This record gives sequence, structure tokens and C-alpha cells, in this order.
Amino acid sequence: MARVYNWQIGREMPYWYPEHRPKRQFAAVFDTNKCIACQTCTLACKTTWTSGKGQEYMLWNNVETKPYGFYPLAWDLNLLEKLGAQNWEGERYSGRTIFEAAQPGERVLGWRPEDIDYANPNVGEDDCVNGVEKGAHFSGVHKSWFFYLARICNHCTYPACLASCPRGSIYKRPEDGIVLIDQGRCRGYQECVKGCPYKKTFYNTMTGTSEKCIACFPKIELGMQPQCFVNCIGKIRFAGWISKPENARADNPIDFLVHVKKVALPLFPQFGLEPNVYYIPPVNVPREFLLQMFGPNVDAAIETYQNAPRDKDLSGLLTLFGSTESMVSKWKRVEEQVMGYDEGGREIIRVPLREPTHIRQAFDAARGVARTNIS
Amino acid sequence: MNVRSLAVVATVVSAAFVGCTKTEPPLSDSEVKAVFEKTLPSTVEDRIWERVPLHPAKLLLQDMVEPRLTQGSTSFVRVQSVTDGQKIAFRLSWSDSTLDDLPGPGRFGDAVALQMPAATTADVPAPQMGEQERPVEITYWSAIFQAVANGRKDDIHAIYPRAKVDHYPFEAASLKPGSAAQQEMAKRYAPARSLENPMAGPRTNPVQDLLAEGPGTIRPAEKSLSNGGGKYSQGGWSVLLVRPLPNGAQPGGRTQVAFAVWEGSHQEVGSRKMRTAWIPLSLGSAK
Repeated sequence: MARVYNWQIGREMPYWYPEHRPKRQFAAVFDTNKCIACQTCTLACKTTWTSGKGQEYMLWNNVETKPYGFYPLAWDLNLLEKLGAQNWEGERYSGRTIFEAAQPGERVLGWRPEDIDYANPNVGEDDCVNGVEKGAHFSGVHKSWFFYLARICNHCTYPACLASCPRGSIYKRPEDGIVLIDQGRCRGYQECVKGCPYKKTFYNTMTGTSEKCIACFPKIELGMQPQCFVNCIGKIRFAGWISKPENARADNPIDFLVHVKKVALPLFPQFGLEPNVYYIPPVNVPREFLLQMFGPNVDAAIETYQNAPRDKDLSGLLTLFGSTESMVSKWKRVEEQVMGYDEGGREIIRVPLREPTHIRQAFDAARGVARTNIS
Repeated sequence: MNVRSLAVVATVVSAAFVGCTKTEPPLSDSEVKAVFEKTLPSTVEDRIWERVPLHPAKLLLQDMVEPRLTQGSTSFVRVQSVTDGQKIAFRLSWSDSTLDDLPGPGRFGDAVALQMPAATTADVPAPQMGEQERPVEITYWSAIFQAVANGRKDDIHAIYPRAKVDHYPFEAASLKPGSAAQQEMAKRYAPARSLENPMAGPRTNPVQDLLAEGPGTIRPAEKSLSNGGGKYSQGGWSVLLVRPLPNGAQPGGRTQVAFAVWEGSHQEVGSRKMRTAWIPLSLGSAK
């Protein structure tokens, strides 16, 4: 195995192939605090890509309630248990990645879901930790909690699916870092299904090959965000490009959120894949749980996020979420307005920091009627 | 092979033929002997197999390249062979307590393959799938392919009988079933089929012709020339594989052959397999 550098764990690690980063890397930020688990993203993906035979059970995008929701069942718990203790020393992960923990004869540490594990994609929906007793009320601390975790393929920098495939049927596109399974070459060994810790590759029973989220690359190639992003009614998602930390640019929206503000964090960075979907962690969840899920910077990220009302740049950029179907390569705030630009520097969106509001009086004196709040 | 292991082999061999035939074939311990016959047998039950020498090929773990098989399963594959001077037929049988022919997540089919050097030369390429510029030809049979060839429908209900499917876009009322437009639409939702991946079917032949130049390099042969069929009975598989003689292999000559067996219930797939090293193969000729 080669030695590669994974900035998310602050150190080198072994990987099946040498470090070879794409010209640019597709990345995304999801704000978990805004997700309402309406599954519109799930359906947008389903109807676009997985309506075929053998794809019936597949959800390239899914939203699960944490901590009791899973698709497939216990996808994270199974691996966390196999991996053992996962310790951090500051921002350096001192535990083992799934590449370091691979058992003899294996390329990565993984496990194989069975069909029954995919049979209940909404298991645990809205199930609350600690329950809600009669008379319970919010008093500043969330005694009961859950949150929604929307998931797609992370188009990892060091994909375990790609490392697992013994015949090189999985590749990472040099132009955008999107990870794809070559449907002409795959022979359906399901090593990728076993190897991907996020369980975002799926075996198609009817075609005998494995398939996965393609980040809607035909849209990306046209400068547009994927279907699950633009259909999100909660506007929790933002797609773009991420740089290595040392090359981060504050005018790149993803860089700003991930590298500058450090408000968005990778999912299970300790697995070692350098996943490229970043999550703004939920504010209402015990920190121990979030630390395991998003790594050691959770406290700082939440503090930054909660300070957004006083941070015009951060709150400004968050207003660009869900504001346009186009990919926003650069952004800028000028006083109370936030602008998004495409790769050519053309302005594609302009959003006010605060939407203008007008409050109507409850009584319409001109018509002599009371207004009702129904429309 | 010592006396004790010969006795084990004899037991294995006789167990396989109990109830199938009354005559046990002769043993060929050191090589696979392809007997010359004018007409090749067309089934695994053909009585010709009663007199064709049987080579019990010991299977080894594939423990050379990752992912490896770390726990053994199938111990022996029993090999018989017949040639007509143009083609060569193999009857491969092995014990298997479970019939695995359903595909699915985490589910794999029983399978067997034979491998021959693409060029018949004095030295053979590496037994592990050949090597660069020294390809091997692989004839691969799968129980999943066999079930489809036997008539299992190309439909999710054939695997999950109680599956409920709301709608497939390519079965919309506006599309005439079987029309070119409808089939084109269906292909759009089966990318592996659109790319004519031979794994994707639909298929009538349970056998694939493949080429390889080392581990991880397997690819479809330019032409599909082999055929065969497998049957499961009495706790084991018997599979007939018929393929052309490799380039340069002549009746009366010699070459090498290797085998691999996958036990589906043991999660064996791809490189996770039981396999043999090269085994000498003598080709009979017309007298």
C-alpha cells in the first residue's frame, strides 16, 4: 500500500493507491439543522436514476433519523464496533483507519449487508433518545433528541469502494473527483459494497453489477447542482468544489465553510476516506455523539454556527443555499447583499442578507374586515 | 499422493457417482486425460463419462492476492475430459451441500471455471490468471447464469416473489410492450445492459468465455464460443463445459489446465475462490 496524506485526520495513512488528487474535487455542505426529513431529495434521486429493475431497493440518497435510523441497517454501528476505539489527539487521529485495520487477506475493514438490511429504509424515523414524557417542555437543554442525517455518496478522496475493487472497475474522475463504477467492466463481486463504510454502493440483482450515486455528473458538467440539492425544500445543501486546506480560498463557498470557518465537518473522518460531503452538525445533540460522528472540531463548529446571526459573512453565505440550480464557484458579500458567481466570474445569483418583510395589520381598516392568516 | 489420501479421493469419487451410474470411471491421478471421441457428450449424464478417466483435482485457497480466501471450502473438483480434435469437453463435479443460484446483496452463486493458456507453448503463464502479454482463456459457468438459462424470469419477482413494484417508467402505458422505443427506454434504466456488459444479461448460455492477463484483468473474449450446462443433485454440482481446443493444442499433444470453484454460501466470489495449480492435460487422438 502507498502512503498518502489525509488532512481530515491530520496525518499520513496507508491507501491502496498513491495520492493523486483530481484537478478539482466535487464537494458539498449539508446543514443538518435545517433538514426536516421530507425525503424530497430521496425521491428526486429515485425518480431520476433508480427506477430500473434491480434498483427497487436502492436509495443513492437517503435521509435517516439518528441515532436509531439506518440505511442499510446498522451501517455505521457495525463498522464502529469492528474498528474498536477511535481516539483523537487534538486534530490528529491516533486510532486506526479502515485501511489500517484491514484483516489479513482483505484490502479494507468492511462488512457485507444482506438484502434484509435494506428492507426498512425508514427504520427509527423520528425515534427520540430518552423519549418525551407527559409534561415535557424545552427549558434550554435538549433532554430528548434526534436529528436527520441526509446521505449521498461522499465521493471520497480515498474511496474504500475503489480500493476494494479487485479489478479496477471503480474510478475517480480526474476532472471533478466524482467516483463512478464502470458499468461495462463491473462483474458484481460486491467488494465495493463490503468495503464502503457509508454503504453507498449497491448491488443490482438484475444486471449483476454494483451501482452508486453519480453526483448527477451530467448536470455537474453543465454547471448545475445535483437533483437532490436543487429539490431540497429545506435548502440544506450546497454543492461546489473543495481545495486542500493549504490552498483554501475564502471566496470559494465550500472552502469558506470547511476551511475558513470550519463550520462544516466530514462524516466519520476516522474511517480515513477523506469524504467530501461536509455537515454542519446539529446543535441539539450530545457532543459525545457528535464527536464520534464528525470528529474533534464539533464544539468549535457549533459555536461558529450559533454565532452566525452576528457573522454577516457566514449567515450571508448560508443564504445562498438552495438559491440557485447553478454551481456557485465564487461568492462575495457587499454590505447586505450576497452574490454567487459561476466559474467564468459571471454573477448568477444575488440574495439579500435578510429578505424584506412587510407585516400587515390584523385589521384591514379600508375594507373594515379582520385579516385571517390563511394564505 | 500417499495411500491415505488416495483412499479419501476414492471415497469422494465413489460418493459422487452413487445413484448416478453403476460403473465407476477409472482414476487418472497425475493428469487430466482427454479421451478422443468422434462425438462429444452433450450432458453430464451421458454414459460416455463412465469410462472417461477421472482426475480428482485438489483445490487450494486463493491466498496470493487480496481479497483472499482465508478459510477453505470445497476440497476437490473431479475432472473428466473428452475431445473430438476440434473441441474439448470437461465434466466437472464437486460436493456442495447448498444450491446457491440466487443473486442479491451479500448473496453469491455457486460457480466453476477452467483456465487454459491461450497459446500452447512449452512453458505456461502464471497459474493465477496468466500474466501480461501471456493471456489465459477462461471458461466460466455460474449457477446464477444456469438458473436464468433454465428459464428463470428476468424480473425481480423471480427472486423476491412478494416484491411490490409501483411502476417502471419503461412499462408506461404509452409504450407498446416489446417495441423498439420501449426496449430503448428499458435499457436506459439498466446501464450495464446498455454497455453490453456480459454480466447483465439477458442470457441463454450459462457459460462465459473470458480472457485474463493476471489477477484483476479478466475481460470478455472477443467471441463467445463455449457452452455447457450444470445440474445440481445429491449434494453436489456436475457441470459440462465445452470449448474449442486452445490455439496450438493438437490431438495427441499436451497442454495445461487449471480450475476454480466458488461456493456461494461461503461468500466466495471473484478472487475469493478455491483453485488448482496448473494440471497437465493430455489430448487423446483418433487411433
